[in-house]
Amino acid sequence: MANSIPVAQPISVRIADRVSAETMAIPWYIWCCLISVVSAVVGSEWDISWHKSIGRDSFWTPAHILIQLSGVLAGIACGYLILWTTFNKRSPLRDVSVSMWGFRAPLGAFLCAWGGVAMVTSAPFDNWWHNSYGLDVKILSPPHVLLALGMTGIRFGTVVMILAEMNRAQGPYRAKLERLLFVAVAFLMGMTVGIMQELTNRVFMHGATFYAVMMFTAPIVIAMMAWVSENRWAATIMTAILTAVHLALVWILPLFPAQPKLGPVYQHITRLVPPDFPLLLIVPAVVFDLLRQRIGTWGRWTQATTLGAAFFASFIAVQWPFADFLMSPASRNAIFATTNYPYAVPPMSPWVRNVFVPTEASVGEFWVRMATALAAAVVMTRIGIAWGEWMRRIRR
Amino acid sequence: MKLAVKSRLLAIAAFLFLAARPLCAHVGSPDVYYEGDSGPYHLFVTVRMPPVIPGVAEVRARAESGDVHVIRIVPLRLTGPGSNLPPTPDLAQASKDDPQFFTGNLWLMEEGALQVRILADGAKGKGELSVPVPSFAQRTLPMAKPLAGLLFGLMLLLTIGLISITGAGAREASLEPGATPGPTNVRRARIVMAVTIAVLLALLYLGRTWWGIEAASYERRVNFYKPPKAETTLENGNRLVIRAQANDPRWSARINMGRVIPDHNHLMHLFLISLPGMDHMWHLHPARAEGGAFVDDLPSIPAGKYQIFADVVDERGFPWTLTGMAELPPISGKPMMGDDSSWSGESLMATQAHSSLSQLPDGTQIVWDRANGPLKSNVAMDFKFSVQNKDGKPVQDMEPYMGMAGHAEFVRSDFSVFAHVHPSGSVAMASLELAQASLMGDASSMPAGMVMAGNTALSRPLPPILSFPYGFPRPGDYRIFVQVKRSEQVETGVFDAHVD
Repeated sequence: MANSIPVAQPISVRIADRVSAETMAIPWYIWCCLISVVSAVVGSEWDISWHKSIGRDSFWTPAHILIQLSGVLAGIACGYLILWTTFNKRSPLRDVSVSMWGFRAPLGAFLCAWGGVAMVTSAPFDNWWHNSYGLDVKILSPPHVLLALGMTGIRFGTVVMILAEMNRAQGPYRAKLERLLFVAVAFLMGMTVGIMQELTNRVFMHGATFYAVMMFTAPIVIAMMAWVSENRWAATIMTAILTAVHLALVWILPLFPAQPKLGPVYQHITRLVPPDFPLLLIVPAVVFDLLRQRIGTWGRWTQATTLGAAFFASFIAVQWPFADFLMSPASRNAIFATTNYPYAVPPMSPWVRNVFVPTEASVGEFWVRMATALAAAVVMTRIGIAWGEWMRRIRR
Repeated sequence: MKLAVKSRLLAIAAFLFLAARPLCAHVGSPDVYYEGDSGPYHLFVTVRMPPVIPGVAEVRARAESGDVHVIRIVPLRLTGPGSNLPPTPDLAQASKDDPQFFTGNLWLMEEGALQVRILADGAKGKGELSVPVPSFAQRTLPMAKPLAGLLFGLMLLLTIGLISITGAGAREASLEPGATPGPTNVRRARIVMAVTIAVLLALLYLGRTWWGIEAASYERRVNFYKPPKAETTLENGNRLVIRAQANDPRWSARINMGRVIPDHNHLMHLFLISLPGMDHMWHLHPARAEGGAFVDDLPSIPAGKYQIFADVVDERGFPWTLTGMAELPPISGKPMMGDDSSWSGESLMATQAHSSLSQLPDGTQIVWDRANGPLKSNVAMDFKFSVQNKDGKPVQDMEPYMGMAGHAEFVRSDFSVFAHVHPSGSVAMASLELAQASLMGDASSMPAGMVMAGNTALSRPLPPILSFPYGFPRPGDYRIFVQVKRSEQVETGVFDAHVD
């Protein structure tokens, strides 16, 4: 073990690494950040379901508390970590930290703290926005995007923090950290894909815009995950975790009673409305891993082109016919939950009538946008590869 | 400013529009006051409308009797799709000090003609009441300087912080523990920071653009609901032609003036009030003409400047007040007929802005039974008036005036507030009829003071005491015109009030 540590390392780091490796204890700040991420994930999904089912809320709903807890927990934990690392000269983290404005801490701690500040900043901004422009109940508004950026900062910071620890570790401890990494990246991907959910409803699944949106958001994380991990099935495992969490939300949320508090009430609601059934990203993720194992020696751009195109093609191959199934009566059950209409959706809407909505005005526009989606899949895969390679080098 | 001149046989009349005042829709008085029956329970309801939509309205209900146990409240559309699909009602909280006073909050999610249903439950069983409420965005809120400073500081912190974080990451994140960054690391960090600055500047620009688009969209909504301008021309010396000219070009496309609905027997209630002292007032009822215009053959009117308020209710039940200002030549018109009425007297400027007795031309009088102490703004009140003969005894010849015991107009001295109020409150009667119709024809919920055609009440005198639920929206000097009908004559009493 000692031979694997560079001689240049100070003794404090060597001791810290050896202690960690021997005890295999995940540091407290990683747990804090992971709890923060889970809190935001559950809070966000609960809040969205709340607005679909009940409609109105207050600052003090359990969902809002979970979201704010995420920012506060990450901010306090990482703020303390930054101060502790900066001012405690004997801190074992001093030599595995980066410096900024005279402070020292692992890079992930700065990212999480930034996310916490962004989330807290969004609160007065959002409050003013409500007072000025009304109580918006939509996902995409400037204060909500700032909140989402904050949450993304915490999720990315958590990933970086785990990675830095993992890239310095070996053996069982590294494997343990890698399992946490799968979870953290799954939540990161849930954020990037989830923010687009207003454009990924099943009524859009036979339009090119849906696939373009997915290619801009999914392959970059899939590729990053695959390149950052030594596991041959990294993309599959991470996507499986995301799908499992999503399925759990689909099946658990309807267990709780709810009544609409806003009108007009077009849909009879007695339970919390769950999210839509998860997208079949697991299939292109499996294809991605299988293919990657065979083309690992190719050039980066060639790999990106092959993997991006395969991801795009396999996703269309499964999601397009699956959309037909989701529109059919066979899917209207507790498993696929395709009758999860929010209370405010009129009965004549395409969603309720199970009718696809064309998102392109012409066939030509459809194919142009499909070509854009393919190009996006390739480019975003390449960016994801570069991102993963950089992430793999992270030590601090 | 518009000058319209037409000539035929008589002198040319010109109406000079000085400007449309930037008044709020329904003219400075957005809150709704209503008095009516929820089944067996008589309620006094106040709906404090939110300044922005979607927003939270505050509902207050006071039961006259002491036997109401529970009150629930729920908002829904007044007409059209969704007007029969209410959400789960909210429980209004009873006051600890006054168990018959209930308060609750409601989210109003959309603009337009809405209603608030009041469901009362008590010793006499259950009752339901519907209060029409015009829901609209009233204003844009500028950001207070302290908050703007705080958010600007946080934006700088987040922006500079992210630049520094990316720089630190590029410089040191890949270094082995204990190693120090070399020139290559520093150079790479500078490049990454430069790229980050460019990306963040682009994102900030896009964010600002997005914010601007959202703000402009909201501003258009506010403008849409500002009182439309009453564009008037004078034809043939005394024929007044009124057209609505809204602030928003979409207004004319969505609001069809040719399809406004009757509001207590008339499609339009036109008020001409002399400037600046309100020493003349006409309450007229123009008829519908082609192209959404309204016309009225004016009675004799002295030359001068007049403030115009014209009330209409659109087909969805939303009340609009057209506002304008005109300079009239002397008009020699027809004698007033039907429900038209007028008043002339002292100027508001010449009074002490406090009066509780108004002498009528025939020697009778209207007395305002006002409480002691100063009048307060934003306080719901029951304005009680009694009509007395020369000896101070109640008159016995009160008749319905346009189907009601009386009408009252509350006008602020600067004309920034105008409210046409009835014994049932500040709601438009046409909207109220739509609300009552939505209650499945519950006859027990007939608005207070409203007399149905064919009702036996028409055949006997009305009580000489009448009341108007209302609250002054802002401090200032107000003139109150109280109009009743006796022996087929419309009588107008005038009261001035200073509000703190």
